[in-house]
Amino acid sequence: MPDNWTFVAAAYALAALVFGGYWLRLGRMQRELAAARTDREAVRDDRASRSQQPSKTGHPRPEPASRPPLQP
Amino acid sequence: MTTLLGWLAGLGLVAGLVMGFGVAPREVTQGNVQRIMYLHVPAVWVAYLTFTVGFAASIAYLAGRRPGADRLAHAACEVGTVFLGVNIATGAIWGKPTWGTWWTWDARLTSVAVVFVMFLAYLLLRGAIEDHERGARYGAVLSIVAALNIPLVHFSVYWWRTLHQPPSLLKPGSSTMPRVILTALLVNFAAQALLGAYFVARRARLLAAEEEALA
Repeated sequence: MPDNWTFVAAAYALAALVFGGYWLRLGRMQRELAAARTDREAVRDDRASRSQQPSKTGHPRPEPASRPPLQP
Repeated sequence: MTTLLGWLAGLGLVAGLVMGFGVAPREVTQGNVQRIMYLHVPAVWVAYLTFTVGFAASIAYLAGRRPGADRLAHAACEVGTVFLGVNIATGAIWGKPTWGTWWTWDARLTSVAVVFVMFLAYLLLRGAIEDHERGARYGAVLSIVAALNIPLVHFSVYWWRTLHQPPSLLKPGSSTMPRVILTALLVNFAAQALLGAYFVARRARLLAAEEEALA
């Protein structure tokens, strides 16, 4: 019977593709989860730092006198 | 631990390739195409093992509702599906030069295709149900039902007339396989089992991290 090396190569290449693809998928999922966690921590830290700042007194909007008059 | 498993799996796969292509001789009847066996047979054994782990973990989840058992079942079923896919695809590639066809609807091939589709359905189900507890419960039931088909796949070659050969190792009595071929097969099985364990451990950890992110 002929050796059919093409079929052997195809079988091993396919297996390498499937196992390698799954391994890469796990790595991508891990990176996405790490990025999401970093984002969540950044938002949490930002909120925590804002809550520690003293509240500013006064009106945040411009004074009415400084506004341009309304056009008829 | 997971990283160590990964390295061991990598080394095992290299050793498996050396055994399969360097040490094991050319088979007399089929020629070198028989070397596909070192990939095809261990892949289905690892699939059987991971589905058995998924079966046990699913029962444990239904009994105790522990999230860890569900994560293990989910990871094991997913990895088992990957290995079973490799087994079916390499079997088709091996079948063409030896049987003259990529696929035939005989009892072994049909029963293994049914199991594969059932585990694909499991993965779709897990992805489709948003309520995590409900998805875990339905998934556990489906994985138990699907895993119960594995003995049917194994014994199909005895119960019906099939094109697929009967098992050479997982059978009563001693193996008729030459020792060097048997050793190459077992080294490849150990390598793929390590790879499967590495995938399951890593996937289960990712599922835990996903649940933590959603909480």
